[in-house]
Formats: sequence, C-alpha cells, structure tokens
Amino acid sequence: MLYSYNWLKWYIPEALDPEKLADVLTYHLAEVENVEHRVFNNEEDLIFDIKILPNRAHDLLSHQGLARELASLLNIKFIDPTLKYKIPPSTNLGQAQLKIKIETDKCRRYMGRIVRNIKIGPSPDWVVKHLESIEQRSINNVVDAANLVMFDCGQPIHCFDLDKVSGNGLIIRMARKGEAMTTLDNKNLKLTPNDMVIADDKNVLGLAGIKGGKIAEVDANTKNIIIEVANFDPISVRKSARYHGLPTNASKRFENELTSETGAPTMREISGLLVEYGTGEFEEIVDEYSQKPETRTLSFSIEKISKILGLKVSEKEIEEILIRYHFKYNPYPTSPLHKGEETGGGYKITVPPMRLDLEIEEDMAEEIGRVLGYDKVKGTIPRVSFTPKVNQTYAKIVWARNKLLNEGYSEVMTSSFCMKGKMEVLASASDKNFLRINLLEGLKESLKLNKNNLPLLGLREIKIFEIGTVWVPDEAMHVAYNDGDKIIELNLDDFCKDTNLNFKLEPRAYGLAPAFRMWPLFPFIVRDIAVWVPGEVESEKVYKVIKENAGDMVVRGPELFDTFTKDSKTSYAFRIVFQSYKKTLTDAEINEIMQKISEKLKSFGWEVR
Amino acid sequence: MDELKQGTIHPLSFLAEEAYKVFTDMGFEIATGPELESEWYNFDVLNVSKDHPARDMQDTFIIKGEKEKVLRTHTTSVTGRAVEQANKDGRMPCAFISIGKVFRNEATDATHEMQFYQIDGAMVGENISVADMKGVLTHFYKKMLGEEIEIEFRPSFFPFTEPSIEVFAKFKGKWLEMGGSGMLHPNVLRNLRIDPKKFQGFAFGHGFDRIAMLKWGIPDIRLFYQGDLRLNQF
Repeated sequence: MLYSYNWLKWYIPEALDPEKLADVLTYHLAEVENVEHRVFNNEEDLIFDIKILPNRAHDLLSHQGLARELASLLNIKFIDPTLKYKIPPSTNLGQAQLKIKIETDKCRRYMGRIVRNIKIGPSPDWVVKHLESIEQRSINNVVDAANLVMFDCGQPIHCFDLDKVSGNGLIIRMARKGEAMTTLDNKNLKLTPNDMVIADDKNVLGLAGIKGGKIAEVDANTKNIIIEVANFDPISVRKSARYHGLPTNASKRFENELTSETGAPTMREISGLLVEYGTGEFEEIVDEYSQKPETRTLSFSIEKISKILGLKVSEKEIEEILIRYHFKYNPYPTSPLHKGEETGGGYKITVPPMRLDLEIEEDMAEEIGRVLGYDKVKGTIPRVSFTPKVNQTYAKIVWARNKLLNEGYSEVMTSSFCMKGKMEVLASASDKNFLRINLLEGLKESLKLNKNNLPLLGLREIKIFEIGTVWVPDEAMHVAYNDGDKIIELNLDDFCKDTNLNFKLEPRAYGLAPAFRMWPLFPFIVRDIAVWVPGEVESEKVYKVIKENAGDMVVRGPELFDTFTKDSKTSYAFRIVFQSYKKTLTDAEINEIMQKISEKLKSFGWEVR
Repeated sequence: MDELKQGTIHPLSFLAEEAYKVFTDMGFEIATGPELESEWYNFDVLNVSKDHPARDMQDTFIIKGEKEKVLRTHTTSVTGRAVEQANKDGRMPCAFISIGKVFRNEATDATHEMQFYQIDGAMVGENISVADMKGVLTHFYKKMLGEEIEIEFRPSFFPFTEPSIEVFAKFKGKWLEMGGSGMLHPNVLRNLRIDPKKFQGFAFGHGFDRIAMLKWGIPDIRLFYQGDLRLNQF
C-alpha cells in the first residue's frame, strides 16, 4: 500500500526523516518496496510503498494504523484524530428512518446513517491532495470522503443515494439464483447464492464489501445518502471478489479480516468530515451489531519468549514494549518452580481489537522479536543428539551418477514437462502440458543439441545421462543414458541392483570456487587448417603462430587433432572454432582471418595443405 | 588414442553435494520425497488453510484426474514428512535437509522457471530457537558464497512459521532476498502429531538455482534445464 509521509506526519509529527524511517520499517515491520519523491501543488511529499503482509493487514492498511504502529515502535507522540471528529448537530428529524435487516451471519455488523440535504461538489484541496498522493482519483466530495476515510482508518465505507433506494431499508442477504447487478463501473455481474449482497426490497444494490451497484449510485444530483460502515466475513468476500474478478481496496481489507470494532470511530470520522464540508442533516446511526467480538486475552511467559528467540529477554524490555503498544497487562508471578531463576513468570495482556494477529504465545515472540530487532539475536550452531541415517534414494542417485561419470558420461537435466504423456497438467502457462513418462524424449533433444555443438565442446562424441523423475503414470525415478543414438533407460532401483551402497558423501571439490564462463549466444564457425613442416618442428610452434594470428573471437582451439609423418615431413592439423559475443560472424570475416593465418604460416616456409 | 575421460557433472548436482555436506556435517539427515505431492503435505499440514491465497491455483500445478494432488511448490513437504516420521520413530530431536525439484506455474524468463530446485531444512527439538536458525543459515551461506557473506533477518509472514523471517544475504555489496524461514507454527507441529509444548524448531526453504547463479554468475535460470553440455564447466 502507498502511504504519504506528510499524511502520516499529521499523526506522528516527530516522525523520523524518511531514510531512517524506511530502515526502521524494513527491520521491524515490513518491506519497503519503494520510496518516491512527489510534488503536489508545490508541496513536496514522499510516498512509501510498503508491503503489508496478511498478518498485519487487519490494522496497518491505513495511515492511522501505520502511524499508531510507528508511534509505538519509535516511542514517539501519536496524535489521536478520533478525539477531534466534529459531531453533527442534533436535528429534529425524529427517529431514524433507516431500517437494516441482516439475513446472513456472514455480516457481523451493519451501521447505516441517513444524511439529508447534502450538496455534491468538489472536495477541499487537502482531501484531493491526500487522495492524489496515494494515486486515488478525486470524484466528488461524498465519494472522496468515503475513500479518504478508508485509507485513513482502514475501514471501507460505501454510500448509497437514498432516493434511489426502494422502500425504507437495506437488507443484507445472500444473492438468489438468477440475480444480477451492474457495478458502478458498468460491469454486469451474474450473482450466485455464494455472493453476499446489499439489497432493497426490489434490487441488489451492492456486492457486499466489494463494489457498489449502479442503481443507487451517488452522482452529481444526489441530495440524500445512506452511509454504510459494515463488517463482512473475510472468506465470503474473498471468494466473491475472485469469482467476479473484482479485487478492490475494500475487498482487500475485508478478506484479510477487520475487527468490527472499527465501525463506530469510522462512522464518526466520516460524519465529522461531512460536517466540516458544511453539508447535511444527520439522522441517528442505526447499528445492527449481531456479532460483537469478545475481549481477547493472551498469556505468555518470559521464558518461552526467550526460548523461542534464543535471546534472553528481560522483564524491563518486555514491559517497555507492552506499555508503548498500549497492551493492558497484568504480570503473573514467578511460579514456585521458578523461584530464584532470573526469568520466571509472565504476562497476561488484553489484546487490542485491531490486533487480530495476536492470538498465541508465539505471536508475542514475533512481536517482541521484531520490535527488539532480530539483529540482537546472535547465531549459534546447535548440537542435537540425533543420529542421521543414510537416505537410500539419494545414495542410489549418487552411486548411479558417479558410475556414469566415471564411464565418461556427462550429466544433463531436462524439463519434467513435455507435449505428450499420461498425466495432463491443467492450465499450464506453457504448451508443454504433460508430465514426462520417460527421460528418453528430453535426452534425445539434448543429444541433438550437443551433437551440433561438438566443435565447441571439443569432443569426438556425445555421451550424456540424466537421473530424474518420470510418471509412468506412477511417479518413478529413472536413469537414462545414450549408446550412440540409442537411449537406454531404466528404473533407478534396477540400475543400482546388485550393488553394495557404501555411501559416503564426499563432494567433488569442497570449498573450491570454480569459475563459470557464459558462452556466446550466436552461431559458431569451425575451420580446420593443416600444414606440412620439416620433421623437427614441434607442433607447439605451429600452434603459436596460428593462435597469434587468429584474432580474439576464438572460443576453442587451435586444437591439434591430427598428426602424421611422411618421409622427413610432419603434418599437423588444427581445428579452430570462432564465435562472437556480440553478433553472428560471416564466412567472409573468417575467410579473411584464415587467409592471414595461411600467409603467416607460409612465411616460415611451411606448406599449407 | 582416446583415454576414457571423466564425464562432467551438472552444476546443480555439484552444488547439491557441497550443500548437503555442509548440512550433514552439522548433523542433518538427507530427506527425499515425492514430486507429485498430496495437498495435505504441501499445504494443509503447513497451516495453509483452504481459503488462503497461497492455495490459489494460479501458481500451483494440478493434474487432471488427480484430485487432492499437486506438483509440490516447495520441498517443505519433504522435511515435514521426515520430521513427522522421526517423531513417530522416537527419533527426537531431529534435523533434516532436502534439495529437490519444485514447480510453479508462471511464465518463464531469466529468473523464473516452471521447475527449479529448492533447499529446505528443518530442525526440531526441545530448545531449538531463532538463534540456532541464524547460526545454521549463516554458516551455510558462508560455505556457499564465501566468508564475506553477511546474513540479516527481516520480519515477514508465512502461515507455517511464527516468528516468520525473510533471510537476506549481502553478496558483492548488495542485499539479496534468499528465502523464507521461521519457527514452525504450533499448528504445523500439531498437524505433524508433535506436541508444541514439548518441542519447537525452525524451518527454511530457499531457492537453490539462485545460489548457483549468484555463486558462478550464471545469468539465466533456464540454462540449467536445456540439456546443453556447455553448462558443465566443473
């Protein structure tokens, strides 16, 4: 999610400078994917893109949420905006006219508020600035308010045009077969009984927690609205959002689970915002709160925390964290068993409603570990009294591999996927959508490729093998190698039959770091050159002449591949392989080089064949 | 006269032997397991609920007609099975290491392949902690990538660990993400029929091809699976 530094500073004015902030976040909270410098109306801002993971999506997908966390983490002042929301003046509209009916337990809470006589118009500059800083479009003052509040406190809000709602209330229910809805973006949805919807007595008005419908859309002519602040079951929202292909900012928050306790302050925030706009007459809030969460407590022992982290944590350190994070706590005393030890006893805390990630002792280990910083944990090499056994499968693989390597075969690995087989892979991103039934097909291709590259490899023949899994259709481990153009393939067990697996894991060159050189991706050209020299001339001499004149695009050679003597003369034949890292070489270019080499050889009085 | 020359080994096999030696020297046992795995060992055992986004079938390969089976997306299924069996056999504490092929259904490019290798380890005992995990992983990466390597632990989230940690290594001046790790979540231990009040331990699962690519400057992960002998330079 994107966070505006300036917006955060409304709540944590003593925030660190941005660079330090990025580090603090990375080491104690979450990954900062990007920090971008932006200018809005001559005001500079820094936009942090922070990767909030599912365990903290309950409380951190908002500026207030992040600011609260940072205030606790850095032990700096947090300015609580909820204390300053403007309260709407009481009206004489009498009893609330809005009726809310919840007909599914997948809706845990529904708060609705009618606001009459509002004036739709542009939003104040500061609202537009806030929204644009996090790449949200400004639409009109009411829609913007709902959007802004969501990014501010984390609770999604939806607004309906009251005059487009039939009857006098809203029903939260599961959709019926055959029902449909056109979204605000004009997408037509065919609803299923798995979709939770907001409806009136005639139509579906919204896909709960995801997107509103066009029927009750708030537009430039809207005079009266219903504000919705609700809480929906995360699994239901997630399934519907996926099914209809509608991932929205609202659905993201609901599917990661929000506490329904954010409802009241959120409704106060948006009401206060509209009051600031100077618009609207507010009816009383209707609050159908069917599933109020129980107060949660969590007990943990100091010893357990230290044991998990491998770091001795003191009472003082823990209490400091509990205080900074506003966890109401009660220490429980050192038990008789622990008397005299430094770390005995622990704490029972009341978990703030928004911290849905804190349920068990281990969650507190993570909380304390990350706040202290994992750099404080010093690495140790553990000694466990465990006697490892030899893994028979791996022993066979190593034995088979070594046997083939010793017989001159080289190892390849090919793809487990191929174009035909018995086990079909569904929805594959490639056209190879079957699991291989043998190693043969892959090995054949590898053989072909390597045969073409014989000059580059400096080999006379290709001998390759692979050890890998195939599906026949049961999963099995096979060994395959070539004998000329024929492929021999067997089950690993059969290949290793009759051997005594004296297994000792000795890696080839433990600790040495061989160098790797990437090869050019352009075609190569092979040239041979043979020359008659007087008998006593060594091949080394000829080699040097060729090498010095062959230029810098030689990838192999000059390699002596033939020698024979006749009378008092010796013939040496060399092979050179040319290849460029930058382009495809032409025959003409190479001919020129070979010409040069010939001339040079002739200058010694040698006869080029 | 052609002497019988030794064949050349695939770089990943070469590195796997080195990696296994580092861990077996620390007392880990090598574990292997099926590539076509049950959903139970690939997801459910690991506290990845049926509604968790990680279960989305976009990245996971499923096979027609093989319900409740997936091509394993990590080798944590192997170490999970091994730890469960060790507990059954009364061989606790225990430590397992596995290097195996894993599968992800995504478009391929220089750093992404549909099949690649993962190195996965777990150590479970009465006192195994985050400090032990740091020691083990630091030692491992120093052996793989050189003594100058530095290791950092950053906060993260995985359903199967608590605390969850993303491991970073400083290599040639840059901090690189190596993979996830953490203390096994008590739900995972319970799923493996292990009493979380008695035992605790860590687990990690890191990309193995990646280590080879960093170590040797191999530019493209797809090179490992093209069957091209020019790859075998060791």
